[in-house]
Amino acid sequence: MKDRIATVIKNRPCAEGIWSMTLAFDDLEEIKGAQFLDIKLPDRSKVLRRPFCICDFDKDAKTADVCYAVVGEGTKVLTEVKEGDKLNVLLPLGNGYSPKGKRIMLVGGGMGSAVLPAVITANPDKEFFVYLGFANAGKVVLEKEISAKGATVTVATDDGSYGKKGFVTSYAREAVDTVKPDEIFVCGPEVMYKAVRKSFEGCGVPVYVSLEQRMGCGIGACLVCNCKVKRADGEGYVRVCKDGPVFLLDEVVL
Amino acid sequence: MSNLKVNIAGVEFKNPIITASGTFGFGKEYSEFYPLSALGGICTKGLTLRKREGNPPPRVAETYGGMLNSVGLQNPGIEHYLAEDDKRLAKEDVVVIANIAGSTLEDYIAIAERINDSHADMVELNISCPNVKQGGMAFGVLPKNVEEVTRAVKNVCKKPVITKLSPNVSCIADNARAAEAGGADAVSLINTLSGMAVNYKTRRPVLANNNGGLSGPCVKPVALKMVWECYNAVKIPIIGLGGITSYTDVLEFMICGARAVQVGTANFTDPTAAYDIAKDLEKYVSENDIDINDLVGTLILN
Repeated sequence: MKDRIATVIKNRPCAEGIWSMTLAFDDLEEIKGAQFLDIKLPDRSKVLRRPFCICDFDKDAKTADVCYAVVGEGTKVLTEVKEGDKLNVLLPLGNGYSPKGKRIMLVGGGMGSAVLPAVITANPDKEFFVYLGFANAGKVVLEKEISAKGATVTVATDDGSYGKKGFVTSYAREAVDTVKPDEIFVCGPEVMYKAVRKSFEGCGVPVYVSLEQRMGCGIGACLVCNCKVKRADGEGYVRVCKDGPVFLLDEVVL
Repeated sequence: MSNLKVNIAGVEFKNPIITASGTFGFGKEYSEFYPLSALGGICTKGLTLRKREGNPPPRVAETYGGMLNSVGLQNPGIEHYLAEDDKRLAKEDVVVIANIAGSTLEDYIAIAERINDSHADMVELNISCPNVKQGGMAFGVLPKNVEEVTRAVKNVCKKPVITKLSPNVSCIADNARAAEAGGADAVSLINTLSGMAVNYKTRRPVLANNNGGLSGPCVKPVALKMVWECYNAVKIPIIGLGGITSYTDVLEFMICGARAVQVGTANFTDPTAAYDIAKDLEKYVSENDIDINDLVGTLILN
């Protein structure tokens, strides 16, 4: 973990309201899947950094990719960053996801899909079965990038305008019996975790999720990004930035 | 000859930069970025007698030039601090200020007694947290309560006591006087300003707790004025805080009467903020060959 100066070598739209940014560094330490980075915005009225999952990375080229939806003032500022600009970026942050099993099912919901490429890159010895869900065809991202890594990819859209029609979690659940994954990793909105908890209950495979919360320091000191978990010693708050963002779905209080 | 050392209630700080309570945990995370010994002091997360879970998330909302927080004094409790953090911090060459909070007068007395067993150099009395329902700020509003809780803690605490003042009051100078009358060795100000952020789409406050405490550069003018008012009201040293992001901000606070300062929200923007400010201040003092203490309270009114 270090605060580094990054050079923006790419920053352009890749889908409807979604941008893709590539950051180049002078040095880059080992990155795990589902870790995140924290960008200082080039706007002094914004005192908080913006955390994004590390979408993908290249150890040799010393680059990291960010795939972000333009939803608020901070991400709007980010779209104004030009190629060649420098940004302060803190990384890698968070516990990350390092699967222990061999066959891994990855499920992405909307922008949650942006976590998945790095999980595959960081774990070249595993076999991945990927299920991506989006609202509609215009929002589909990263299908090609993930396929290029040799993973089997199934895409579903809520309105059926691309790929299969309906919620991706249903297709992923159906596939559990044939794919026989050792672990399942899901990243998406909280409502998706609620659906997954219900439908995957009793499937006998551990399900991991990556949580999101508004953050302050990003390094575990300020305690603003907490989420509630239920563990052997009872219910309590843990830090999404430092203790997470990846947790066993069973222990997360939704 | 240039000098950066300051002295507050007999405690020497190698420079006037202290990290503000609640923004710096117990120093562990930031010590991965720089040696804590580069700072004058660190102020711990607010400690209570028993572990506190704090408020539900979201606990933070960015605002123009600042942020609101509603952590609600989440902390592992004083016993955990004594067992886990106290010894580690004692090894660091930096002044450690234990920030303590309570819900009742008895709480404050009990935790002040307990902190006597720590290696902390000083105690900061948190009577101005806007995010907890009981206590906290309730002790920080009326001068008589400020005086009462300060005196109660001073009666049992063997360490120098800093009373941290709330800006959400009718006259902060009266509260500074009350703290001094209660025996405080110093006052620190300002704690956060009470505020709200609203989402027009949902028509709801952004924070789960509805209200929060405003901090960051947007509060600096309020803080500077209050430091100046308190400087003119009391003889005990003042520690100034509120929106400090650079060494020039530090100079402004000291000119308004602060003997030392605390850096808070800036730690989130830049994890090395407090370190950078200390280094820049050192450079300024050495280049201009000044004793930083000579600046305190030198404001020239128009």
